[in-house]
Amino acid sequence: MKIKIHRRFLNARVLRAISAGAAGLMFLCAAVIVRAAQSNGESAKTPPLIVKDEAGRTVEVPQPVKRIISLAPSVTETIYALGAQDRLVADTDVCNYPPAAQKLPKVGGPFTPNLEIIVSLKPDLVVVAANSGNRKETADALDLLHVPTYATNAKTVEDVLASIVKLGDVLGVGDQGRALSESLRLRLQDFHRRLENVTPSRVLFVVWQEPLISIGQETYIADALRRAGAESVIQTKQDWPHVSWEEVVRQQPEYLVFASAHPDEILATLAGLRNLPGWRDLKAMAENKILIVSEAINLPAPRLVDAIEELARHLHPEAFADPPRPPVVLHSNGGSHSPERAH
Amino acid sequence: MKALTLQRLIWICGSLLAALFVVVVIALKVGAVPISIADLAVNLGRWIVGRGTQLPSEYQIIVFGIRLPRIILAMLVGGALSVSGTSFQALLRNPLADPYVLGVSSGGAVGAILGLILAPQQPLIAPLMAFVGAIATIAAVYFLGRRKGQLDSTTLLLAGIISASFLSAVISFLVTTLAGRDLRGIVFWLMGDLSTPLQPSLHWVLFGGLILGVGAIYTTAADLNVITTGEREAIHLGVDVTRVKLVVYVSASLLTGLAVSVSGAIGYVGLLVPHAMRMLFGSDYRVLIPSSLIGGAIAVVAADTLARTVMKPTELPVGAVTAILGAPFFIYLLRRRLQ
Repeated sequence: MKIKIHRRFLNARVLRAISAGAAGLMFLCAAVIVRAAQSNGESAKTPPLIVKDEAGRTVEVPQPVKRIISLAPSVTETIYALGAQDRLVADTDVCNYPPAAQKLPKVGGPFTPNLEIIVSLKPDLVVVAANSGNRKETADALDLLHVPTYATNAKTVEDVLASIVKLGDVLGVGDQGRALSESLRLRLQDFHRRLENVTPSRVLFVVWQEPLISIGQETYIADALRRAGAESVIQTKQDWPHVSWEEVVRQQPEYLVFASAHPDEILATLAGLRNLPGWRDLKAMAENKILIVSEAINLPAPRLVDAIEELARHLHPEAFADPPRPPVVLHSNGGSHSPERAH
Repeated sequence: MKALTLQRLIWICGSLLAALFVVVVIALKVGAVPISIADLAVNLGRWIVGRGTQLPSEYQIIVFGIRLPRIILAMLVGGALSVSGTSFQALLRNPLADPYVLGVSSGGAVGAILGLILAPQQPLIAPLMAFVGAIATIAAVYFLGRRKGQLDSTTLLLAGIISASFLSAVISFLVTTLAGRDLRGIVFWLMGDLSTPLQPSLHWVLFGGLILGVGAIYTTAADLNVITTGEREAIHLGVDVTRVKLVVYVSASLLTGLAVSVSGAIGYVGLLVPHAMRMLFGSDYRVLIPSSLIGGAIAVVAADTLARTVMKPTELPVGAVTAILGAPFFIYLLRRRLQ
């Protein structure tokens, strides 16, 4: 292809016309952007409750909160435990506890919830879990759309209890929140007394098998392990470390701990891994010291205490020989906590 | 090359703008929450003339608060990536040049991540750092790509590819070592994401940067036509090659940095759209730059609409859509040209 060179081809008239056209287009785009910036904005009727949420954001919560959307399984579970589920209008694809929560309308997954569906459901409050499941960007996006968004953010078991109280207050069920939190605290104190003199078991908490992902010491799971008389052998500040097999083999954990609602699947996977380097070098594998606890340990929600108890009873059965001393709330399998019975 | 007439330029841009309008209307209509085309037409009209819409407030938020800003963002990002691809292809006289191949996008991404780490509360730091990262990368690649004082296209492309992989490693390093910070959002963003609404002020920054960058590049369009035949020839014909290169490298880096800072890695746009436009309208840069600008906007709006609708309510990263659709389309275009 031969290129003819017209350096000064576009004469002044042509250039003027192009500039005028471009300017017009720019003006149109600018007008559209301005209108887009102005178009969101709506005010509440009753004076809202202004709270600082657990991620440090200031949230205006309209009162009373009638329509709640949960964007994380831990939040869904907590809302049911607080008895506020009648006001929960939607949750996420992965909210599967209690079973009733699965039947609610879905807004997508916690990581990429669909903003359009959230807005179309006209929520008074969206509750996210800043540290387990949701992205900061999602909360920021909802702020931009003037959808009140409260973030829970639990990094320890203590935070989980505090979060229950705070969320209870925000949702107008403060008494239930305090009662539930108190009953959980009594149970934790009972475990603490029982496990005072036991030597913590050295465990490897397996989040994922291939590649091997475990937990960091600053997660609520590590804290839950400590309260169950166990200690994660992985010393790191990263939350979900991809750990080296050399380190795991050197540490030789006493137990491998998995969390799953389907223990058979874990056992089947482990049968396949048994002869692989790394796995075959673990004494815990050879001795079959494998614990599969409820997947509740993965969520910063009330059942975390159940999971702690389950793990503690497995690791230190001798400490749980006699019946518990303080009165505790019954945690039935049905999933609804009954906090008012605690007092 | 066909001679450029104003009529031809207006005709090309007009038809592309019409196509963009159709794509935008479709993008406004479809989504997780259905809205009828009649409702959309009436309210779009009312909204443009500045009167209140008749829609319930939640629909208004969905269409004008969520979809429209996202479409505007897609148009800005698509235009920026596509024009910067066109410019790099001209300067390097290499049809494979693209902000991603040259590592400019990765440089922008490293800058944006550093910006997010240093000042997470300042929304303008990330685009600024992305620009700095992009320009530093193109400077490094340009320096590495010289042999005996001359710019060698092959060496330059290799330098770009190596820089890109080095910078990707830096990103992996940053993301895995930053303990205790929630960086999963960054990983998602790196895959190419337009689903997160931006502060309106950032739209303005993007819009201003796009006008500035594309405008600066367009002033060199006639010179770029000459440079594509060879730098020495261009110098003999009186083109100030050094100035043109400086203007285009800086502007294209600005465009790439801005696009990457808000949308992460949306690949193939900078490679594909200029090629498609070249095949449709010829390789005169005075046509290619505006047509790539509009074509890029069309491509990214269409890709993002697919990303948010094919698996609704779950969204795909738009970068995955551009790659899945882009690669086969690229091969089709190549084969058609060979026949």
